[in-house]
Formats: sequence, structure tokens, C-alpha cells
Amino acid sequence: MWRTWIRALITLAALNWVAPCKSHAQGETPLISANAGFISTTTGGQTNLQPILNPVVVAPIGSKLLVEGSYEFQGFVARPTPDSPFDAQYFGSLFYLQMDYIVNRHLTFVAGRFLTPFNIYNERFSPIWINPLQNAPLIFGIGTRTSGSSDGAMVRGVVAARSGWEWNYTAFFSAGSSVHQFQSGRAFGTRSGVFFPNIRLEVGASYERFLQNLHNNSTGAYLSWQPNRVPIDITAEYAHSPQGSGYWVEAGYQFKQTNPLGPWMHNLIGIVRVQQFFKGVPQPNDALLNANAQVAEFGFNYFLPKTVRVNASYGRQFSDAGNFNQWTFGVTKRFTFPAIPARNN
Amino acid sequence: MAEPNRRAHSLFPVITLLLTFLCAMAAAQNKNGGPPPKQQLTEPSKTHNAQQVSKPVDPAAEGEKRFEINCGRCHRPPDNISPRISKSILQHMRVRAMLTQEDEYYILKYIAP
Repeated sequence: MWRTWIRALITLAALNWVAPCKSHAQGETPLISANAGFISTTTGGQTNLQPILNPVVVAPIGSKLLVEGSYEFQGFVARPTPDSPFDAQYFGSLFYLQMDYIVNRHLTFVAGRFLTPFNIYNERFSPIWINPLQNAPLIFGIGTRTSGSSDGAMVRGVVAARSGWEWNYTAFFSAGSSVHQFQSGRAFGTRSGVFFPNIRLEVGASYERFLQNLHNNSTGAYLSWQPNRVPIDITAEYAHSPQGSGYWVEAGYQFKQTNPLGPWMHNLIGIVRVQQFFKGVPQPNDALLNANAQVAEFGFNYFLPKTVRVNASYGRQFSDAGNFNQWTFGVTKRFTFPAIPARNN
Repeated sequence: MAEPNRRAHSLFPVITLLLTFLCAMAAAQNKNGGPPPKQQLTEPSKTHNAQQVSKPVDPAAEGEKRFEINCGRCHRPPDNISPRISKSILQHMRVRAMLTQEDEYYILKYIAP
């Protein structure tokens, strides 16, 4: 089944690549957008280095149909024991390979492999060039089992929109798969949120029913708020499952209005995140901690020209399993270019 | 104390499912809220009300405003987008950020004038 899917998507994308389509001249040329990054993390004195390359391919077929995929090549360089030399491992992950049919703003069909739409971190903030803090939240594993991606179908869109509010929804079904690069859990779920554009506030809730082996529910809620008067960005999530529950709250302040050290501070964002996790009944491969934990993190993002970003953070985890410090330092670069060369007529 | 908690947790998925069902039903029946026809995309101000027609908006400024409201919640504006791929990027974002065709028009004027 997956081979058929992959063949169909690749054939459609290839047809679009080679066809001398008139729409390509109107800005619909297939593109490659890649995120490259290097992240160093020191957890409790143990350092690991992660070079990452994450290409995203987008191939529109007309104005309604879109084929897109994202793959991550990642290295993991660490010392197996404190006295041994660094050892490198490399692996890849297919984040999504999906076909989208945009009926209208109210309805888009998505089929293939897509990021599981539980709360907002996975879909919006997981790319390395977007997330302000490189460490995923402790509750990331709730609602996104088994891999953060789902294989199946999804519908999404805006139910209704007025000048003061906008109500959006997402619903999906995923088949269980243990095929390499296509791992997913059998599940269905939904997310619904209301966005108030005038005050730039979005609140919503998520639900996922995991249907593989042990059937159980995951529920969540989220908030995203960028006040108009203050350049601050507040994001928060809560999630609950039988394996555990918790929340995180993050605030990022951009030094737009106060720049005592000069205009270069406009590109600086200071970030604070606090999170708490409450252990439930652990299951194998649930990607959650086996102990209660609280984490406080502080960091910054600095945006250099040419879409280069530098970020660093310090966090302290207080846990029943032990307390430790975590330092991260990362550089990310994002670049986007047409996937096919321009034709000189 | 445990019983109300359990009841609350069992009600949560039911309410969320119900909301999604309502969303899908409303979306299917919403015939008046659709995007403007494609030919109107080149001049979206014609689809506005009389007040907006009498006071034309600067497409790039309107695009910047819509970018900040929709896209700026997650990321900063991209640098130096090739005009050949500008619509492809917006199509990618229409799926994720649920943008309208009108949003697409104005944001295009902002990121790839």
C-alpha cells in the first residue's frame, strides 16, 4: 500500500517537474526549502552534537493540488562513555509526504503521511528554524505517538470567520504502521481552535484516541497570544493521557521597543519557558519521562542576516529521578530556492 | 474527589468530537463564506464593501499586516524570495495556516512585490 502511495506521489511530483506548465511562470514553480542546523546539547555534563539537514519539497499542481514532503537527515555525535572518543551515528526520518487538495478555505483534504495535529507544537514549532528553544517540551509525546507523524487522511479548514474571530478545525485518521520511515500509530483525533485576530489570541483543544494495543485517550489545550502593544509572544500547552500529563508556558520578548545597547537589539528575542510533567502509568515507547519533573529554561534567539539564527539556552530540570542542568547552543540556516532552473526564452 | 475528575476527563473527548462534527457540518454548509473567484484575485479590493473601495489599501502594507497576524505568529518574513516560487510558498502556507485567497494575494505583494 505504501509503495503505491509513494509511487503515486512521486509520479505526480515528477510530472509537475518536467511538464512545461504555464503556471510555473506565475510563481508556482516547485521549490526546495531546506533548514540546516547544528545543535550542541550538554545534559548533566554529557555533551552531544547534532548536525541536521531538513529539506522540504513543495510541488504545486495547479492552484488546488499540492504535493509536499519533508525529510530530516540527522547526526548524533556523543561519547558512549565519559572517557571514550566521540562516536557518530546518522539516521533519517520522513516527517511528511502528503498530497493536499484545497477545496476552499473551509475544507482541505490531506492524504499520505502528515504531522499529527495534536495541540500546536508538532505542526507549528517543531522545525529547527522556528522553535525558539531546541528541546521539545516534556509533554511532546502525548497525542503524537508513535512517531509524531500519522499515515492516513486529514481534513482541515476554517469553519467560519468574521472580522473579530475565526474558528478552525482539523480531524484525522491514521493507520498503524511499523514500516521503516512510515511508522505511525493507529489513531484518530481532532483539534479545534478559535483565533481572535484583533487581539492576536488563539485558544483551542485537542483530542486523540489511540487505537493500537492499549486503547486510550489523549486530550490537550493550547493558547497562543501576541499582544498588540507589547512585542511579546506567549505560547502554552496542556496535555493529558494515562501515561502522564503536564503543561508548558513559554514567553518570548523581542527587543523592538527598548534598545539601550543599540539597534542591533531589534533582532534579539529573550525566551523563558517553564514546564511541569506528572508521571502516569508508563507504556513502552511512549516517549515520556518515568518520573515527575519540573523544568525552568532561559535563552535567547538572535537573528543574523540571510536567515541565519543563533540560539542558546540554559535549563534546570528538577525531577524525582535526579536534578541536572541542560545547556544548548544552536545555529540554524534556512534557504529556499526553485527546484527547477529558469528557462531562458 | 476522583469521580468528578473522571467525569471531566470522559466529557472532554465527547465535547471535542462534538465540536469537530459541528465544524465539519458548518464548513460543508457555509456557501457564502468561500474565497472570491479566481479572476477577482488580481483586484481583491473590488470584492470589498463600498467604504473600502473608496479608500484603496496599499497591497504591500496590507500584506505585511496579514503576514504579522497569520504567519508572524510562528516565524519571521523570509528573505529574498524568488518570484518564481512565491505562490508555491503561499500554497504550502494556505494548508498550514488556513489562509484565504485574499490573504494569499496581499501576502504575495508583501513577500515578493
